[in-house]
Amino acid sequence: MAAVNRDNEEEVKTDDGSPKIKPRPIVRLGIFLIAHSPVFSVVFSAAGVLALLLLPLLAKNTYISENALMPGSARSMLSNRDVSDGSKLVKDIKNFRLNHEGQGVEVQKLIGKYMSDMGAEVSYQKFHPEGNQFHPLHFFSGPDSYTLLENVSCASYGVNVAGIIRAPRGDGKESIVLVTPYDFINGGDYEDLSLGIVSSLFSLLSRVTWLSKDIIWLVADSRYGDYRPVAAWLTEYHSPSFKVSDLLKCDEQNTADNFRRAGTMAAALVLKVDGRSEKFEDTLSIYAEASNGQMPNLDLINVVNYLAVHRQGFYVKVEKVVSLLSSSWLKIFGEIFEAVGKLAHMLNPDWNFGIPAADYLEGSATLASSLYSQALGIPTGPHGAFRDYQVDAITLKVSPRFPPDSKTRQHDFFLRGARLLEGTIRSVNNLLEKFHQSFFLYMLTSPSKFISVGVYMIAFALLVAPLPMVAASLYIDGCKSLTNSTHNPTENFKSWKWLDAAKQVFTLHLLGFIVTLLPYFICQVPGQHSPTNRSIMWGTTSSSLLLITFVTMPGCSPFSSRLHGTNWAILKSVTISAAFIGLCLMSIINFATAEIGALLLVPTCLMAQPIKPALRSRRLKSLLGAFCSIVLLTIGFPVMFFAISKGLLGEGLVGLSLGGEFWTWLESLWAWKSATYLYIGMVHLPCWLLCLCILFHPS
Amino acid sequence: MKEEKKDDGVMAEEKPYMFWIWTLASTIFRLFLIFSPANINLSSRPEVSTPHTSLRRLAEGYWLKQSSLSPYAGSMYHGSPLLLSILGPLTVQRIEGQSSHHLCSLVFVIADLLSALLLRAIGQKLQKSYRMNLRPLGVLRSSQDRGILPCGDIAALVYLWNPFTILSCVGLSTSPIENLAVIVSLYGAVTRRVPLAAFGLIMATHLSLYSAPLVFPLIFLLGYGLDAPPIKKFLQTRHGGVETGSTSDVSKQEKLTPTTQLPFSWRTVLHFVFWVLVWSSYVLVLCSLSLKQYGGLEEMFKRTYGFILRIEDLSPNIGVFWYFFAEAFEFSRNYLLIIFNLYILLTSIPSLMFRLKHRPCFLAFAYLAFTSILKSYPSVGDAALYLSLWALFVNELTDMEYSFFIFCGYIGFSLLSPVMHNFWIWRGTGNANFYFGNAMGYACFQFMFVEKSVNAMLNHDQALKKATAEMTKN
Repeated sequence: MAAVNRDNEEEVKTDDGSPKIKPRPIVRLGIFLIAHSPVFSVVFSAAGVLALLLLPLLAKNTYISENALMPGSARSMLSNRDVSDGSKLVKDIKNFRLNHEGQGVEVQKLIGKYMSDMGAEVSYQKFHPEGNQFHPLHFFSGPDSYTLLENVSCASYGVNVAGIIRAPRGDGKESIVLVTPYDFINGGDYEDLSLGIVSSLFSLLSRVTWLSKDIIWLVADSRYGDYRPVAAWLTEYHSPSFKVSDLLKCDEQNTADNFRRAGTMAAALVLKVDGRSEKFEDTLSIYAEASNGQMPNLDLINVVNYLAVHRQGFYVKVEKVVSLLSSSWLKIFGEIFEAVGKLAHMLNPDWNFGIPAADYLEGSATLASSLYSQALGIPTGPHGAFRDYQVDAITLKVSPRFPPDSKTRQHDFFLRGARLLEGTIRSVNNLLEKFHQSFFLYMLTSPSKFISVGVYMIAFALLVAPLPMVAASLYIDGCKSLTNSTHNPTENFKSWKWLDAAKQVFTLHLLGFIVTLLPYFICQVPGQHSPTNRSIMWGTTSSSLLLITFVTMPGCSPFSSRLHGTNWAILKSVTISAAFIGLCLMSIINFATAEIGALLLVPTCLMAQPIKPALRSRRLKSLLGAFCSIVLLTIGFPVMFFAISKGLLGEGLVGLSLGGEFWTWLESLWAWKSATYLYIGMVHLPCWLLCLCILFHPS
Repeated sequence: MKEEKKDDGVMAEEKPYMFWIWTLASTIFRLFLIFSPANINLSSRPEVSTPHTSLRRLAEGYWLKQSSLSPYAGSMYHGSPLLLSILGPLTVQRIEGQSSHHLCSLVFVIADLLSALLLRAIGQKLQKSYRMNLRPLGVLRSSQDRGILPCGDIAALVYLWNPFTILSCVGLSTSPIENLAVIVSLYGAVTRRVPLAAFGLIMATHLSLYSAPLVFPLIFLLGYGLDAPPIKKFLQTRHGGVETGSTSDVSKQEKLTPTTQLPFSWRTVLHFVFWVLVWSSYVLVLCSLSLKQYGGLEEMFKRTYGFILRIEDLSPNIGVFWYFFAEAFEFSRNYLLIIFNLYILLTSIPSLMFRLKHRPCFLAFAYLAFTSILKSYPSVGDAALYLSLWALFVNELTDMEYSFFIFCGYIGFSLLSPVMHNFWIWRGTGNANFYFGNAMGYACFQFMFVEKSVNAMLNHDQALKKATAEMTKN
């Protein structure tokens, strides 16, 4: 009787509870996605890769967002007399360097004299070359973290020359910067031409009445590279150091108290002239990437591109991966997309999204170069130093089509180059505030086509969307299996089974952090300057730390017994969650790094499974999955991926070993304070190790 | 039986040893971060230092006071004048060859250690009470004894090794002092030391206005006793008597059961109120003496509590008020101020008090978590406090739902906050919306955390009630 009553009560409770337990539609959708996560993960990953391949098709033509810029709306006022002044400066510099082979600052003084003759305020700035010493906390500090070196040698310093023209209609609060890097020691014949162009323009700007912003012309001493002098000058400009530097004792010339400033910088243009053009026109190359993948406002590139192409007749180009132009598989994709575009155009004339296969190839090569440059996080020119102070800047590299000793061609070249800069300065001169209208987050597929963040973020979102779904699905499966395997149900922590896996994930991420800091101590070791030796030390020390971790914490080791190990499904779930968090964080810091990292990490994380059950069952599907896991893990190892990408990009190893090459590459990353280095050490490597633990899990 | 004793002995010998090792390691880690020459300038992070808890502002206030000015002049300092008198001299003294504020950092390390030890004592009391209440449920005795976790050690280590706590300690924030005051009040109430509980409450409220709602869980603690009150024993005893009675006795007992009241020690509560008044008067007299020449108590209330309630400083932080009031129109500001300040009172305090009056310590956790989400100037130190109080209830909260999801959300939004700030301030490509969006996401996950914790606690008590009922039937 009592038993019957109990059953009736239970039935009543169930009936009462069932209407209330019905989940809401969004919860049901979540459950549906989690239940079918293998299918959806494949679909989403494929869609992400396809969206990435479709990006060159989705590129739009650039346009001027800021109406005040009005490029090309005024006739050029540059005259032949100004060009003659520029030619005279170039000739004087050449004659001076032919007659004097000393290493003094005479050329700087000559340039300074020319500046002051044109009515500009001249100042000189000494700086010392700073080595690329790795300091781990430079990543977390601002741009004011330059430390003065203690022992400064008088034989190794540079001198920048800066001239400032005060605007007749300005109030001294804003400025436009022109930079010409010039190697005062080993400068070639073409480098003089950049001084000539800017000198011509400077001569004009010192006499015009429409300037509303001061003009600064910085002749950067690029004997130690062209980035370092610009960065040193900007540091002094924005954050003056009140310590008396030892550099002041190196020369009689006192440069400490006459550093000139001119307010906030609206924009900056870096002009370089190098070797002859391969085309029949003068070629203009635009370099825009700054540190950590930052780009200047797109309007600045639009103005320069418009004036160069439509007013001065330059052939404008941006960097591209040349090896992709001859890629057959990419050509096939281009032809497929072209055919689909033509078909769509026939069905409906309004659907006009097809582009020729050749354009697709060009766009893909340019997009790949843009992705790679942004992912490295290294500036592609001295303009990158301006971005650290939120100044929009680009580097213009002009390649004339004539030999350097042609006077007539040089005159025409000066005229067109100076007019290009004049038009750009006129546009920036119209601005009432900083660039803010157009895009800051974009990628270029040609000088006049771009992909904005709203479009390319879709590819990334599709790529990482499987991660939370698979993590939730694995978590639920892992909890169920753990519940079944436990003997005593009352000892279950129903919602806390992930703690052991989280401990393992945290330990390996801590190891990644330590491995990231190791190069700082390796660089302190005396006598070991070879990149190969340093990479070997790094590899052996990291491996030793990994083995020590596995020995001291059996729960973190894939080689321990089954009792110590965690459930592999929950470990994979936590690993995928950690990868998801890391990739999302990196997509904000540097999108290109996150995109490439997602292409490597998402398949590796999703495919990782224990290899022992696959070998035990000997089914073709399981064996194929295990093989794919091993291949993806091999490709995903940072050193291996570095080697593969080197091979694909057509660059061979330059004499060093693979480890030495990798070390040199990483040195360039940390020397430029690139966040990609942190990503490789603290996100990619730990997740890779965790996938390795899952692969060899003793389940 | 002997084996069980041996196991208990081994565990009792081993775990305190591990606890002290981890405690010493956390202290060494903090000292290493403090004296490390690489200063990453945590004291200027909006997540760590707020206008209310910044030590740099306290140093500014002390400098003003040394210059015969009001410490509240210039709208920099908004904290306690007593804290200014204690910590102010330390900000001007320097260890030979070191940078400033090292002595204050040492004070914060000591405060963190004291907080951890008091948390451990509270946890041991709670654990003893928990085991005592589970023992009458004879069916589960052996397994539950084995499964009960040492929540005191866990809570203390969660507090010491929480990155939020370490950031507050190293980042020159006065949050460790405020957290210590809150934990002192809870410790006093748990150990029934009424003067100590009152002192902690008054100091906590003096340092931070949002600690005032703690008066309710403290009264429940002193009146009803620890969590899981002994009334259950009384009920079980009566039910035990029922088994041998007749049907008429059963009906009588059923009539009596709903009207049985929990015993409330009004005498202890009155004692507590008395000491609250004593300490309040004492603190106010000290503050009045300290600010005699600079406007007195009125100036102090205006600059401290008024600063909190009026939300005057709209510099960005990880809360949700700064952006909203930066965008609000001036004529509707007073109305919105009233709404936002009453929201904390009306939405959390009465309902939680009603549902969790039998769990005073957990009620304190819920109050602190709610106020840390909705206060004017929150920081990571507030999260450090309520997370460690939450760890006191690991035994009761084993069935908490979505714990992994909430954990990932906390990590994600915590790491995202400095990235968004950098995106806005240093890079210039983002704007204030990015940082505010992160603050909103962080607040959402905190709300989810509190909701799931309260649900798990209520479910646990429901399960206990059901187990008691089943035992009665048997």
